[in-house]
Amino acid sequence: MEDDRDVTPETVTVRVPPTASYLAVLRTAVGGFAARDHFTLDQVDDLRMAVDEAAVQLLRHASGERLDMDVTATEAGIEVRLHTAVDSDEPVIDESSFSWTILRALADDIQVETIANRATVVLSKHRIVIVHDADPA
Amino acid sequence: MTQYSREDTKPLFAELRRRGDPQIREELAKLHLPLVEYLAKRFKDRGEPLDDLIQVGSVGLLKAIDRFDLDRGVEFSTYATPTIVGELKRYFRDKGWAVRVPRRLQELSLRLNKIVAQLTQDLGRSPTVSEIAKSAGVSEEEVLEALESGQAYSTTSLDAPSGDDEDAPNRVDRIGEDDFRLDNLEYFASLAPLIEKLPERERKILYLRFFRGMTQSKIAEQVGISQMHVSRLLTRILEFLRQGMEGDAEY
Repeated sequence: MEDDRDVTPETVTVRVPPTASYLAVLRTAVGGFAARDHFTLDQVDDLRMAVDEAAVQLLRHASGERLDMDVTATEAGIEVRLHTAVDSDEPVIDESSFSWTILRALADDIQVETIANRATVVLSKHRIVIVHDADPA
Repeated sequence: MTQYSREDTKPLFAELRRRGDPQIREELAKLHLPLVEYLAKRFKDRGEPLDDLIQVGSVGLLKAIDRFDLDRGVEFSTYATPTIVGELKRYFRDKGWAVRVPRRLQELSLRLNKIVAQLTQDLGRSPTVSEIAKSAGVSEEEVLEALESGQAYSTTSLDAPSGDDEDAPNRVDRIGEDDFRLDNLEYFASLAPLIEKLPERERKILYLRFFRGMTQSKIAEQVGISQMHVSRLLTRILEFLRQGMEGDAEY
């Protein structure tokens, strides 16, 4: 089995063929998840764009039949793990690239790794703390 | 001010080619607006406001004006029609607007746009879905549905400039302090020529979001458009840059 990592009940997994035409499915899924999880619209959009960008980079290297996205609600916010099978162990996103710059602006934390022919990009986004009854009036 | 009629099309074109005067270009556009209106009406039962369609069609008209060759001996209207219709069709085709968004959702989407703007102002930040739902008096599911449909159908920005044309009439907002620095962007050598192709406003949005870390809401405020519009433009800009790095792209 190529992927047996722990998936908690709080995780939503979307599995698509590794082609650009399915990016919209990933965007919509992560957007729906984040919006229900009390993220602001700005942040929801950031996540959608970040997933788009990370997925595009993964697609360039994908060698398998699918691209997986696990979205997990964490205490601090949301963690999106995108992963796919690749042929080589070269990094899917170079830290000097424009992609990296984009992702840095959109997500609070990014991890990129390729281990045993599996490339993973993890994007984390923190929920902003909404203070209720903070009406200055 | 000289009053022109459609009879003047040919001399006007000759004049435009000779002098490249943008005012003549505009005059020609005005003269042929009825053609755009006529063609736009043929698409009006697809759930988009006619005004928007006319705007889209006008982009096609301008393209036709720029490309029309007097020597070909065809009437301008004959030449322009397929270009205008093409632009309208592209508008519907872009970004999966094959799915027709029900009127109810479109209306909700428009209403939410206003509510989002208001809430953003009141809260000093972008609102959450539950805040929007509460304010609009609808369920969170409805908000999500409307937002998603909004994303689906309005990706082709209505006031997007036509190509790299400086004089496109639908440039709604010239930005005041234009002189923001693009050094950071140009650091990515492969991007520089693509970024050049972007209209000034788009360049600014790109810069503010990715190099200054400004939120969409803040950018919206600064540029004077809605947050949703900023979102759409950003998505579109990134898409353009990606395609451009792969090969050829036209914004």
